[in-house]
Order: sequence, then structure tokens, then C-alpha cells
Amino acid sequence: MQSHVKFEGVHKLFGAETAVEDLNLTVEAGEFLVLVGPSGCGKTTTLRMLAGLERPSYGRILIGEKLVNNVPPRFRDVAMVFQSYALYPHMNVYDNLAFGMRARGAARNLVDERVKETAEVLGLGQLLKRRPSELSGGQRQRVALGRALIRQPQVFLMDEPLSNLDAGLRVQMRAELSRLHDRFRVTTMYVTHDQVEAMTMGDRIAVMNQGRLQQVDVPETLYDSPANHFVAGFIGSPRMNFVRGQITTLDGKRAVRFLGVKAPLSTSSRLTSDVSDGAVTVGIRPEDLMWRPAAGPDSVVTLDAEVDVVEPMGHEAYVTALCAGETVTSRFPPRSGVRTRERVELALNPARLHLFDTQSGDSILQRPAATSAEALRSMREAWIEGSSAASNREHRAPGVPAQSEEKLIDGR
Amino acid sequence: MSAVQARNLDKANLIVVPYRRVSAAALITNVVLVLLGGFFVLPMLWMVFASVDSNPDWAIRLPTLTFANFADVIGTAGALTAFRSSLILAGTTTVITTVIAVLAAYPLSRLHIPFKRAFMLAILFASGLPVSMLIVPVYQMYVYFGWLDSLYTTALFLAASSLPFAIWLMKNFIDAVPVELEHAAAIDGASTFRILRQLVLPLTLPGIAVTAIYTFINAWGAFVIPFVLNSNPGDQVGPIEIYNFMGSHGLFKFGDLAVFSLLFSLPVILLYLFMSRYFSGAFSFSGAVRG
Repeated sequence: MQSHVKFEGVHKLFGAETAVEDLNLTVEAGEFLVLVGPSGCGKTTTLRMLAGLERPSYGRILIGEKLVNNVPPRFRDVAMVFQSYALYPHMNVYDNLAFGMRARGAARNLVDERVKETAEVLGLGQLLKRRPSELSGGQRQRVALGRALIRQPQVFLMDEPLSNLDAGLRVQMRAELSRLHDRFRVTTMYVTHDQVEAMTMGDRIAVMNQGRLQQVDVPETLYDSPANHFVAGFIGSPRMNFVRGQITTLDGKRAVRFLGVKAPLSTSSRLTSDVSDGAVTVGIRPEDLMWRPAAGPDSVVTLDAEVDVVEPMGHEAYVTALCAGETVTSRFPPRSGVRTRERVELALNPARLHLFDTQSGDSILQRPAATSAEALRSMREAWIEGSSAASNREHRAPGVPAQSEEKLIDGR
Repeated sequence: MSAVQARNLDKANLIVVPYRRVSAAALITNVVLVLLGGFFVLPMLWMVFASVDSNPDWAIRLPTLTFANFADVIGTAGALTAFRSSLILAGTTTVITTVIAVLAAYPLSRLHIPFKRAFMLAILFASGLPVSMLIVPVYQMYVYFGWLDSLYTTALFLAASSLPFAIWLMKNFIDAVPVELEHAAAIDGASTFRILRQLVLPLTLPGIAVTAIYTFINAWGAFVIPFVLNSNPGDQVGPIEIYNFMGSHGLFKFGDLAVFSLLFSLPVILLYLFMSRYFSGAFSFSGAVRG
């Protein structure tokens, strides 16, 4: 009963505005795909087209093998969790959960059984008689989730479901959503503008900007090898540093000059396109630009910088520094003791550089995979602190069958 | 001047206003309000006093108690017929208006319709047109169709004239229901009819009640339309019966007039009370959307 979802050349125009442009995207059966991007990038429109609330202007949308362009929402067998929850205010929790099954004409005792089971899974057992107005934000969110779960649809659609929760609850629900997906393995399309949610929850992440799909990949690849300037800047916090650079040679090897230093390009990486005048944009993740005393042996390039701002975060500190006339951000260990206006030495591993075409923004440096998997893992752990369930969750390849045989209801 | 200095200066200049029980402004306001209220209360007071007075006239005075006027009015067949006729006319008008207003307001609220704004403005304009402006051509039309002298056909025009405002009112009530609820229900598998029946109607029930009551009260007090379109002496409505009390039957029966007016305003007063109750305990959308 898991189905894949396919967008084929989908466009959506609102008058003269193009909301989604030539979208080609497949969500594998059982996959948790996160659609991420800034406000107005077309991600919610994409989700609404899949739900049937908007009709694509061009292109085809398939759920399973079925073309659904002209299928109204109620016949699509999808379930959606809205950002606002959209609970029926005049019905109690029980009736809210039962609404979808009743609308599909399920037998009374089956409805009752499933409502109780779903309420149990989500810890809503004591609240079945309450109206939505008598629930807390987190409880409402669970009811909205339950209303989707109970139906056992082919596809789950989630439109920023966590954005109305406070920070602590959001971390908790994030882990819970991941757990539920591990358990039921329903094909899920999850829309968010929050890259932390994207990185921690997605089997794969699709990044959109200005109506165009930028890159679709597993979180690690997206982080390590962003396809372009936009993806590089959008994924990762603090943001990747971008500085002007120049392709040059050093001891007969390809190198790049930036921030007043020359760094050799690693022999295993190669430029995917030639740059006519040698001008490139160099991208450096803040964790790759370390404080010299804390840097590892691979960080062979040293830069002089003057500290501008120190932002202690507790387990680390973000230091904004001026370096050869450009502002860069660096991740420092906690309690480094550096102060504003102090001169420091920053260390850089040249193997971790990103190069982008200055004009098109496309990445022009192809690097061997898995150079930085370890660094990434530590980052993910930092992000998902406080949610123990999510932190020991390993990456899954798309399409892997459910590990858990435990099911809420038998398949149909 | 620093902020601290400024604050001290403010403190020094602080004028302590003594608390007075009655200020001039409050006094004037209240006197004006009492005068205005008096204008409204006096006719009512006359109505109440005259209805139980054994020898009433134009004057307001403490009555010599009697219930003969009540017995007289309730005893005559005309009064009860008038009540029945008014009930038929106002009831029919209310049903037609409310049903059409809900069905018209729903698409106006929810769908993309070309020239919707212009259409809504036209409706608003139409709701401001005085009925007396239309009554001559409408009379002609009723003659042509042979619709004169029936309460039900009269209700038809009364409904038509009250529809614009009712649609406008109803649209605003439907606008207040978050459209996401309907989207959620549609994805949940509900048909349009189920969405209307289980979501839109229950959630707009206060609005429907207000629209219905408003229409009923207007139709209950309508004079010109039934006066022109329905001349059947057997089923004259209340307002026309009151008009008939005033001299056209020869002698002017103040007591009966007062009793009739009193009885005739009772449903309106009760409905207003009911409506205000409905609003104080109004249904809220809280919990539906946002946290």
C-alpha cells in the first residue's frame, strides 16, 4: 500500500507569477522526503498540488501509477497535516479523528477500534471527549497527526506541522514524527523552511528556491556537496562563508587564491567546468575554518584574522572575524577566551573548500564522497540534542522496507 | 536635556486631578442620553398604560386598571387572523431568504468568480434601495402574473427585497470559517455535501440564526409591500391591522390599538433577546487553527 509519488514537468502559474517551474521529482515508496526552501519558494504550492487543492498548470502528477491531475482531493487517498492543524472546532477529539473514516463510510465498530488505537499511539487516550479549544498546542498537533494516521493513506503530506510549537515541544515532536515514520513507513512529503528539521528528519531533502528545484539528495550529500551557491548557503548553520577567489597554480598544481592565501586543490577533486577569467566564489563552512590551537593536522592553511564578534553558544562559540577585508564566521571551541579586536590565527583544511561559478552559482568542484562524514555526524548530533530517539537513528536508504513489523492496522 | 532630567521634570509638573463623582462632560452626556431615551420610551409607556386603561386617550397617565381591552382584541377574530397572516408572511419570507442567502453566500465567499467585487458592490447597493421606488413596476408585474392578494407570493417579493442584505451578512459569517477546515475535510474524503452539512452549516449556525431573525423581524414589521400586493381583507397582516385601528373603522379605539401594538411587538422583543443571548454565548473557532 505504499506508493511512490512522481512530479513530471510540473508548472504552476498564478496569473503572471510562476510559483513552480518545471518540477521533476520522485518520492520513493515509504520514503520521508523533506521539501525545504525559503518563504515563497513554491514548496507549499507543490504540496497543495499533490493534495489536489491546486491544479498544476502543466505537467503530470502521479501517485503510484495513477495520474491524479484531475482527481479531486477526496479520491486521492492522501492525508495532510496542516500548519494551522485545521481541527474541526465543533467536534471533540474522537469525532475529529473519526471524521475521515466516517466520510469513507467505515463501519461504526471499526471506526471506534481505530480511533482508540490511534489515540493510544499518540497519547490522546484521556482527551477523546475534549474540544480542540480545550487542548494545548502540542495536543492539537497530535490530534492533527492522528487524523492523518488513522486513515492509513498512501501518502502523508505535512505542511510545516511543527512551526506553531514552542522550541522544546518542536524537538520532541520532531523525534516523535521520525519514530512514527519508522513504524508505519508511509510515503511522506514534508514541507518546512527549517533546515534543521530537514536535516534531522528527511531520508532525502529537496531544496527549492524561486519555484525551481535546486537539488535532491540525502542530507549528508546535500551538506557535503551542495550543487550550487543557494543550497550551500541555505543548508548549514551558521551559514557557509562565501568569499571571492581566483583559480591559480601552486607548485604546478591547481590552487585557489582567497583571503590572502593560496590553497592547493586536493588531487582527488576536479573542476567540472573551466572558468574563463579564473574568478570563483569560494565557500567555507564555519566548522572548517577553525581556531589554530584547536585545529587538526589536516588544516594546513593558516589565515590571520581580527575578531569582530564572539557569540558563545555554550557547547561552542561562533566567531565573526575580519580576514583580508572580508567577514567570515568560524566555529570556536567553548571558552577559547578570544575577545573582540584580538588577532587570531584561523586554520583551514583545503580539502573542505567549495568552489562556485561566480556567474551561475553552480558548484564547479567535484570532490570524492565521504571526506567529511565524521564531521557531519557530530554536527547532526549537536542539532538533535535533547531528542535521544532521533540521535541514534541512522540514515536509511530510500525504499528500504519497514524494519518494524508492528503495524497499527493491517494493510488493506 | 537627558532622559533622567526629563523624567524628573515630568514628575514636578505632574498635576494631581482630584477624583470627582460627577464631571461636567459626564453630566451633559447623561442628560442628553436620558432625553433621547425618553423619546423612545414615552410611546412605549403610553402603549403599556393605555392597554390596561379603561378610558384611554392620547395622554400618558396612570391607568384605571382593566383588562377589557385585552379581552376585546383577543376576542375579535381580526386580531388572531392578523397574527396568523403575519406569521405566514414573515415565516415564508424568512425561509426563502435564509436558504437562498446561505446558498448564494457560500460560493461568493469561497470561489473565484469573475467580477466578484463588482457583484458584491451591486448587492450592497441593491440592499440600500428603498422598496417604494420599486413598488409600482412590481405591482404591474404581479398583476401580469396574477400573483396579487396572496400571502405567499407577497412573501416572494419581500424575500427578494431582503435578500441583498441577507447575502451580504451571510457571506461575512462564512468568510469567518477558516477555509483550511474545508480543505482538511476534502482531503479526509468528505464530499461537498458532507462538508456543507457537517462543517459549514454547524459552524455558521449563529450567522444563519442572526440572518433569519433579522429577516423575520423586518418581514414582521413590513407595511408597504403587503399593503400594496395583498388587499385580500381575509388575511391582512399586523401592521396593516394596526393602521386600520386608526380611524378607518370610524371610531378610534385607543385601548385596542395599544393592546394590539403591545402583543404585536412581543415576538420581536423576544427574538432580539434570543439573538443577544446567542451572541453572548457565541460559538468560537478557537482551537481550530493556530496554537
